[in-house]
Amino acid sequence: MNRVYVTAAAALSGLGPDLETLWQRLLAGESAVRPIERFATDRYITNNASWIAGLEPESGRSRIYPLLELLLDGFPPVPAGTVLITATTKGCIDSMEQLQKGLAGDPHDLQVEHLLQWLGRKYPVSSAININAACASSTIAVARAAALIANGRCESVLVLCMDLLSEFVFSGFSALQGLAINTCRPFDLNRNGLSLGEGGGALLMMSGALARREKRPLLGVIAGWGAANDATHITAPARDGCGLVQAVTQALKKAGIGPDDIGAVSAHGTGTVYNDQMELTAFKALFGDRQLPMHSVKGAIGHTLGAAGGIEVAVGLRSLQSGVLPPTVGLTDPAPGAEGLFSNREQQLTGDCLLTTNSGFGGVNAALILQRGEL
Amino acid sequence: MDVALSGIGWVTPSGIGWGGGGQRFDLTPGALPVLTRKEVFPEPNQRFGRQSEYSKIGLASIAFALRDAGLETWTEKRPVGIMAASQLGCLTTDLDYFHTVLPQGGSLPSPNLFAYTLANCFMGEAAIQFGLTGSTMVINEAGQSGAASLRMALESIAWGEHDTMLAGICDLQAPVQFAESFTTTPGALFMVLSGQPSHQRPGYGALSLAGNGSILYNGKEAAGIVELLHTCLSGR
Repeated sequence: MNRVYVTAAAALSGLGPDLETLWQRLLAGESAVRPIERFATDRYITNNASWIAGLEPESGRSRIYPLLELLLDGFPPVPAGTVLITATTKGCIDSMEQLQKGLAGDPHDLQVEHLLQWLGRKYPVSSAININAACASSTIAVARAAALIANGRCESVLVLCMDLLSEFVFSGFSALQGLAINTCRPFDLNRNGLSLGEGGGALLMMSGALARREKRPLLGVIAGWGAANDATHITAPARDGCGLVQAVTQALKKAGIGPDDIGAVSAHGTGTVYNDQMELTAFKALFGDRQLPMHSVKGAIGHTLGAAGGIEVAVGLRSLQSGVLPPTVGLTDPAPGAEGLFSNREQQLTGDCLLTTNSGFGGVNAALILQRGEL
Repeated sequence: MDVALSGIGWVTPSGIGWGGGGQRFDLTPGALPVLTRKEVFPEPNQRFGRQSEYSKIGLASIAFALRDAGLETWTEKRPVGIMAASQLGCLTTDLDYFHTVLPQGGSLPSPNLFAYTLANCFMGEAAIQFGLTGSTMVINEAGQSGAASLRMALESIAWGEHDTMLAGICDLQAPVQFAESFTTTPGALFMVLSGQPSHQRPGYGALSLAGNGSILYNGKEAAGIVELLHTCLSGR
């Protein structure tokens, strides 16, 4: 098995146009969740979300294109023959909204293949697919990329993950009574729903041999990965956390480490009652009574859906580099079982491994283990 | 590594069927049959009726493939994964849902329809119905061959991630208003792939991956899932 290195990482979110800005504002405990100016919200249960200012497309064009252009501005060159894996749940959903309102829009945007073709014209990729696995889409995309490199199928994979804040998704979560009225409060006793967000993440992953030849910086290693379905409910997680436990167990086995080797956890932490309770149950089953530092970024940048896992990998690698886990924004009174694990202050990270997890509709759960790494 | 192809199921404009069921397989353009619960599940099933059409055809073809492989009934959850290629995903459901948002300015969006506006949700239904706990995902690729989902499923077995996988394609007809933009042939086809072949059922032969990543069926290159199914079933 080849070791899998991340050689470049970028993130775009409501907290800023790049990973460094996001990192500094996460450490400062800031939140991008604020009143939406993109569409009318007066009939929904809240008007708050995290969104990217200035993401204004040309007439009839999806916001996904300026999002990707901003995300990839300054991103390092991609080697020829790189495999492209994108991750998005709803892609150019704003184009569908425009067309249904009788406004200008390109129907071809409704097919993700069109987006893959656009990206294929920008980068010299050998093949391209998109993965849709709900809110674990990009986590599974990173897992797939790691598996391709680890098993020698290719030497370089570019993972691009993205999703927009749209009225389509906002109205749906509002109808499900799943939105927090104010900023979401992951793992808080009084959490009452999620805050939606939008964003993108880019990760360039390589084999050690290629990274060495190309003299690329090494941000970290994708050491383990796993994914499992809890086979319980379409929109709610299994209360016993069985799917997440299975995914993490696979990731630990792949990495060749045990639970005690994990130094910190980046949880999915949406701020919904059931998701966070499921995660606490799963983490208890996996780590027992260990006071392991954990956090969620959803109170800061909202739930970015298919982009969440990719952005959280970029943040997780930054955590491993600095030895610091950012605060969980929105947390004031930890829920039973979250005390001593989650904090609204930054926490010190010890050890070389960070676990990051995501779960989603359709029973999907996925886990990645990030590791400090040298060639 | 040889992987056994042990079950096939489909819902196409020509009808429903599974490998050992004696029905004729064909995937040519046309209207998909409107599925009833009785055609898919012999027992009452509270979930089937409220699903979107996209979810129904995906779930039904998975049910038929598992039936063909002798894996439809179960007592304990099983680590079986599902990978499907789709061109349009749940676009029809998206439009149906958004039409509940538009007329009332957002006051009556349907939470039930919203739950089916993710392309992978039919896999969640299949996971619940058949106790499948492997990895589940929908893949968008260039064209409608389904080769990417099949290749990824074969790799997942070869790399030791799963012993058994369901791989296939799932698409509805393009919505009428976009009929000129897309040329998708509607239908759902799934096959059961196993790294540990059953000695009690004959199956359909062996799949493997060549060094260049191309898919081999009994040692000969297979272009995509539809061609593969024609080849498998013509030998019966």
